[in-house]
Formats: sequence, structure tokens, C-alpha cells
Amino acid sequence: MAKNIIEFRNVTKRFPGVVANDNISFSIKEGEIFALLGENGAGKSTLMSMLFGLYQPDEGEIYVRGKLEHIDSPAKAASLDIGMVHQHFKLVSNYTVTENIILGIEPIKRNLGFLPAVDINKANAKIEELSKTYGLEVKPTSVIKNLKVSEQQRVEILKMLYRQAEILIFDEPTAVLTPQEIDYLLEIIRNLRDKGKTIILITHKLEEIKRVAERCAVLNRGRLMGILDVATTSTKEMARMMVGHDINWEIEKKPAKFGETVLRVSNLTVENEEKLKVVKNVSFEVHRGEIFAIAGVAGNGQVDLADAIAGLAKATEGTVTLLGKDITHAHVRERNTLGLSYVPEDRHNVGLILDFTLTDNLVMKNYFKPPFCKGSILQKQQCYAYANQLIERFDIRAANGGDTLVRSMSGGNQQKAIIAREISENSDFIMFVQPTRGLDIGAITAIREKMIEERDNGKAVLLISLDLDEIMSCADTIGVIYNGELLRIAEASKISKNEVGEYMMGVKTDG
Amino acid sequence: MDKKNNKPKAFWLLRIFGGKWQFLTIPLLSILFSLIAISIIVLLIGKNPLTTLTSLLQGSGWLPKATYAAHKNMFTDFTEFLDAMTPMLFASLAVIVAFKAGLFNIGVSGQMLLAGFMATIFIGYSSLPSALAWPLVILVGIVMGAIVGGFTGFLKYRFNINEVVTSIMLNYIIQYVVSFFINTRYVDAVSRQSRAINPAARLTIVNFEANDLRFRIPLCFVVAILAAFLIYLLFSKSRQGYEIKAVGLNPKAAKYAGISVGKNILLGMTLSGALAGLAGVTYYLGYYNTIQPNTLASMGFDSIAVALLGNSHPLGAIFSSTLIVTLTKGSTYMSSIVGVRQEIASLITGMILLFSACRAYIKYKVDLKLSTSQAKGSERGKV
Repeated sequence: MAKNIIEFRNVTKRFPGVVANDNISFSIKEGEIFALLGENGAGKSTLMSMLFGLYQPDEGEIYVRGKLEHIDSPAKAASLDIGMVHQHFKLVSNYTVTENIILGIEPIKRNLGFLPAVDINKANAKIEELSKTYGLEVKPTSVIKNLKVSEQQRVEILKMLYRQAEILIFDEPTAVLTPQEIDYLLEIIRNLRDKGKTIILITHKLEEIKRVAERCAVLNRGRLMGILDVATTSTKEMARMMVGHDINWEIEKKPAKFGETVLRVSNLTVENEEKLKVVKNVSFEVHRGEIFAIAGVAGNGQVDLADAIAGLAKATEGTVTLLGKDITHAHVRERNTLGLSYVPEDRHNVGLILDFTLTDNLVMKNYFKPPFCKGSILQKQQCYAYANQLIERFDIRAANGGDTLVRSMSGGNQQKAIIAREISENSDFIMFVQPTRGLDIGAITAIREKMIEERDNGKAVLLISLDLDEIMSCADTIGVIYNGELLRIAEASKISKNEVGEYMMGVKTDG
Repeated sequence: MDKKNNKPKAFWLLRIFGGKWQFLTIPLLSILFSLIAISIIVLLIGKNPLTTLTSLLQGSGWLPKATYAAHKNMFTDFTEFLDAMTPMLFASLAVIVAFKAGLFNIGVSGQMLLAGFMATIFIGYSSLPSALAWPLVILVGIVMGAIVGGFTGFLKYRFNINEVVTSIMLNYIIQYVVSFFINTRYVDAVSRQSRAINPAARLTIVNFEANDLRFRIPLCFVVAILAAFLIYLLFSKSRQGYEIKAVGLNPKAAKYAGISVGKNILLGMTLSGALAGLAGVTYYLGYYNTIQPNTLASMGFDSIAVALLGNSHPLGAIFSSTLIVTLTKGSTYMSSIVGVRQEIASLITGMILLFSACRAYIKYKVDLKLSTSQAKGSERGKV
């Protein structure tokens, strides 16, 4: 039997107001794929951050290779051959692959016997060799910003391998990948295990665990619920353990009843700040009672498209028509009052003012109208009453009710606040961009049900998401965006998940 | 109390600094720290810290002095203190309004100078009676300050030029242009400053006699206090205040909510300039009655510190300007009585600012301690 390479003994970590990890003990064997399963906020990332030296446990001990270690910095973790692929990549975007990988541990050669210089050729060769050994296809001389997300991830993996990491931590590695890319990544992970590495996989996607992992630890609200043998446990059981109760996977959805056209986008072209065309000649329509979903890999113009519809970005060509009115050049407020609601991708920088109270955020779209404002005086009582109503209706959890600073709320509740505000506007057209990103299963289901409910109420819904499962389970019509172009628009029932995935990668271009 | 429970030793201390009076207790704590630090320094010089600190209060009219000159007593000292505090309060309000709009108005000094200069040459050198001159001085001050501030805001909103750069450059431009005109046209041959203004136009009544005492009466002190309350109401109750705050805290989200970002930047900066203009006229046509060429009032920069000390809150500014002006005003008396250098007062000011800059850290520590001890407490309760 393989020996334990890592052992957590009674590890506890507290943050203001929460116990992130509560008396956790388990061990990981050398050369296995060990999954860490739990909802957001269950404490997975905190636990791994302690192993990686970003936090120190308040109580308890961490043993690496049977030895008690105080991992007080990532450098210490690296010296113990522990490496981590973070959810948000840490790469210098205008450096090449090699430059990123060797950053901090550059191989030095001496020109003319004494002039020190980075031996880039040697590094290139070594990385080339590493990428061949582990099947991590990437060109060492390409510049990061020209690489796809999946390729950047491979660079992150190579970075660990170059540093001779033996224990590899993957933090939600599949969150931003297409189905085909996920297959490829899981293959890489298996390959790494076969070469003798120990893999720790942090995820909340059960299917992936089922596919690659041998054992799996389930965390719920900071507590270890149990260690499961993946092969003999059903996904249903895992899910129940993770959430703490049975959950309904399938979302009930009545057949769609399309009404009149609410939003019409024709030949829309949008340029970014560098005058590059990021949305190219896009046309589509959204009807009442329809969820029109746009699928695509991150950074293919989705956010720019949404911003142009909402009035946050300028349309260079083409028109946007809402309820028969041309709003291509209308002011944001004009669009909002006409009947546009928008749940933006960036909750913290666009959707909310974090240093405002929950109440102030909930009235952000209608503070200027009666009854919230009379003359130019805000009616605080009315605002509070309205906020309390939304807090109750949408089950927004906040420590001090309407007076809570939004910054102090959890991500899920922040998103609930935005969705509550936007849906309560009662607009005919609602746009959701990445509405469930980073949320736990309970919140995800609730939000998807809300979208479908709005559709059934005769609203036109535009859903832009990177999560293909979300699109497949909610959409009535699917459009696939690639490199700023809508490659394909199809009825959801007439296009398969794999087909959508192929369009997302630009592999398939014909209708 | 059960000794074995997990509460930290000084739990009552946490209560004081972590509770809802935190906004008051933590600044007081930082003032206390700075007083301790300054006492140590005074002791090292070999003087008595207690007399040093009380002499500061005596010098600014909070405590009675041992002896007074003719026609003076503690009360006349106090009105003099209020006279000095008036422009400081306006100036710090100017900084606060800009902060709320997410802008840093470092050009308060320049705005003050231009407002003071224009009011001096148009009204101060006229022979208008007080009833006309006073409102006109104030009006000119507001308008000139608003123009300079508004121009800075316009450049920011139209061309996205950083307001710090603009206002520092405007400071220089105004300083040299105003000095040129003072030196060539309005200079007093003896004092080398601008000629003194007509007393009827001055916003401070000097030598107001009553009960054999001679008072200085700062006419605009009440206006300044009123302004603080109005600004407070603007930001807590009005639609406009909500919009300015939204733009200041997160312009992207403000735009998303349909708020016009440019308009509010312009508005915030104009309002800030107008308040700086009021500071200018109460300074150059109130506290003083002349303008010294080639210098910017240091008050314009001190007001930034005062605004921060007051937690960027309009009512907090009343307290912080009281404190800082007490120190500067009392420093002359302190140095003559105790025999320490006047600069010690600046040192105290510096210490207070230093310690109040640590406020966020203290708050963070206290909140952390408090919540972990509560978490432990509740855990214990469960088991």
C-alpha cells in the first residue's frame, strides 16, 4: 500500500465570523488522485491554501511525507514540492510561455565566461521536453496573451512541473473550459498520476470526480463529512453529502410559448478601447417567453455584446431595438426605464457598489423615481421598506438587513441582491451574464429556476454563459459566439452539447 | 466572570472599541496615543508635558490664562480661535465633498487664493457699505472657487485628465498670476503685501467692543457650521448626494445604474471649489485683510489632513478642525510660556495624523479579535 504523503491532523482555521475549517483530519496517499468536494464556502480552498502556505492553521498540524511541517509561505510549499494551479491564472500576459515558467528560477549562463544572462534556449528545450513527456501541448515561445484559456492552464501546469512539484493542487480547473477541453485536461491529470505525481483536485463538479478521482473528501460548511471511495459511491450520494440534503438536479421546464419580438439586434459591431472589433456583425432576436442563450469560451466578445445592448459600450455599427424603439444610442437610464434589466458578469465592479448598504444597492435602479424620491429628497423609509420586501422575497441573507454593507456579504447573497433588483424592475427584457458563476448548487438551482419563471411570465430573457450545462438546461434557443461572431443559432432541442462545444472552439463553422 | 471561559482578558476593551461607538472611540484612542507619544518627547526635552498641553488649550481660549493683556480675556481668545477655524472648516469641507465624488482636490489653496484675490480687488478695495459688501464678498468667493474647481472637474470629465495634476498646476498658475498683479498694482510699499482692504468689507469684525473687552467676531463661523450640516444632509438625504457618492465609490456601477458620471464629477468638483472659495474669502478677507504674494496658504493642504482626521465626514470635520486649529492657534502661547519651540505644535499635529492613520489597522484588529472570540464563544456553547 502506498504511504501517506500528506496528512491533516485536527486542522482548524477561523476567519472573522466563520469557522472555515473545523477540526479536519485526513490523509492523502502518494500517487493518487484525491478530490476535494464541497460547495462554495465549504472550506476547500482555505484548506488547500494552508497546504500551499497562504494561510496558517489556527489549530492542528500538517504532515508532509510523515514530517510535521510549518508551511508559512508558498516558497516553503514549493520547497516541499507542492505546486498549485489557481483558479485565476497567475501569468504575465505579455511574456512568453518560457519566460513565465522560469520566472524567479531562471537558468543562468555566462557569456564570454563571465557575463550573466538568462539561458532562454536551454529553458525552451527543457520545457519542450516536459510538455512532450506529459502530453501538455504548448509552444514555449508563444506569448501568453495570444493563448487560449486552456493553453494558459497548461502553462500553469508546466510551471509546477518545471519546479519539480510532486504534489499538484488543481483549484476548480474545469470552470472555464469547453467539454472537449475538459476531456483533454482530465487525460493530462491521469497521465500525471501515472508518472507518479500526487494530484489534489478541488471541484464541485461530481461528474469529473467520478471520472478521474480514486478517493474524495467531502466538506460541508467547514466540516469534513467523510472520505469516499469514488468507484463505489454514486454521484447522488456524493451530492447529498456535499449539500447536506437531497437535491433536485433536473430543472422543471414547461414548453416555451414564444410571443412578439422584444429585443432585436441587427448587424451589431462593437469595438473595444484599442479599436479592435470584438463583436462582429451580430444579429439575433429575443421573443417574449424565450430564453435565448449565447454560449462561448470566455473572451469571445460576450461581455462587449451585453454592454453594448445595455448602453455601457458604444455600438460602432448596427442597431439595437427594444420593444420597437431604436435604442442604439440611447442613454443607459432611458433603456432601463424602457424595460431593460441587466445582471452583469462583474458583480463587484459593475453590478454593485460594495461600500453602499444593501438598501442603497437594491434601489440603485429606481432611487430617482417616486415613491423613493420626492422632489430631490430620498425617502429613506420607502427605500427600506422596498429593500426589506426584496430581502424577504429573494431570501437574501445579510447580517444587519438593509443596513449591511454589501462588501461584507457572501458572493452568493451579493448575486441574489443583483438578481432581486433586476427582476423586481419588472422589465420586459432581462439579460443575465454568467449569473451562477462561482455560486453553490443551491443558489445555482434557485437562479436558474428564477430565469425560467421570468420566461414563463412572458419576459424575454438573454442568457450569456460560459457554463455549457447551464445553457443546455435553460435555453430555448442557443447561439454560439466565437471570436465576436455568432457562428450558429439553433433551437436548443436541435443541437447537441458536443456540437455547441465544437462551435465554441471555432472548429465547426458551417451551418 | 468564569475565569476558564475563552474570552480574552480585555474583553471589555474590545466592547468599547468594537461596538457601535467605534467611530468615536477609535479616533479618541488615536488622539490619546499621540498625546502619550508627545508627552514622552516633551519629557525628553526636559519640559513638563502637562503644562505644555494645557498651555496649548490656554492659548486658543479653552482654558483661562494666568494673566491677560488689556481688553482681553479667555472669551476674546476663544472668538479669535473661531476666526481661525472658520476658513479651515470650509477648506476641509471642500476636500470632503471632492472625496465623496471620488476626487482628490489638492487645489484648495489655489482656489482659496483666486477667490480671495478677486474678492479683494472687486469688493475689498471698493467703498461699499458692509450690508452690500459682505454678501458680495461671499458671492465672489463662491463663484471664483466654483469656476476653478469646475474647470478641474470639466477637464477630468471631458478629457480624463487627472484632477490632481490639473489642480497642482492651477495652484502654480494662480499663485504666480495673482502675485504678478499684487506686486505690480496692489502692493503696499511698507508691508510688501497687498494693500489692506476696506474694513467694511471684512468678514471678521475686529475690535468689537463690549464690556471693556475687544472681540474679533467671525461673521461666517455660523455659515461654516451650517455648511457642514448642509453637506451632511446632501449626502445622507438627497438624490444628488446619492448620485455623487455612487460615482465616487464605483463609477462603472454608477454608469450601469444610469447615473451620468461626467455630470456628477463636474458637480462634485464645482461644489468643492465653491467651498474652497468660501475658505478663501474668510481667510484673506476675514482672518487676514491682506494677501501675501508668492505664497499659497498652507491651510489648503492642512485641510486634507483635517478632512481625513474627521473620517471624511462633514460633521467629523467640525471636530477635527477644532482640534487642529486649537493646536496651531495655541502654539504661540505655548512656546512663550513653556519655552519649547512653536514647531512642537506641528509635531503634535503630525503625531495625531500618524496615529489616526493607524485607525483602520486598529479597527481591523479589534474586529478580528471580537469576531474570533465570539466564534469561539459560540462553539463552546454548542459543545
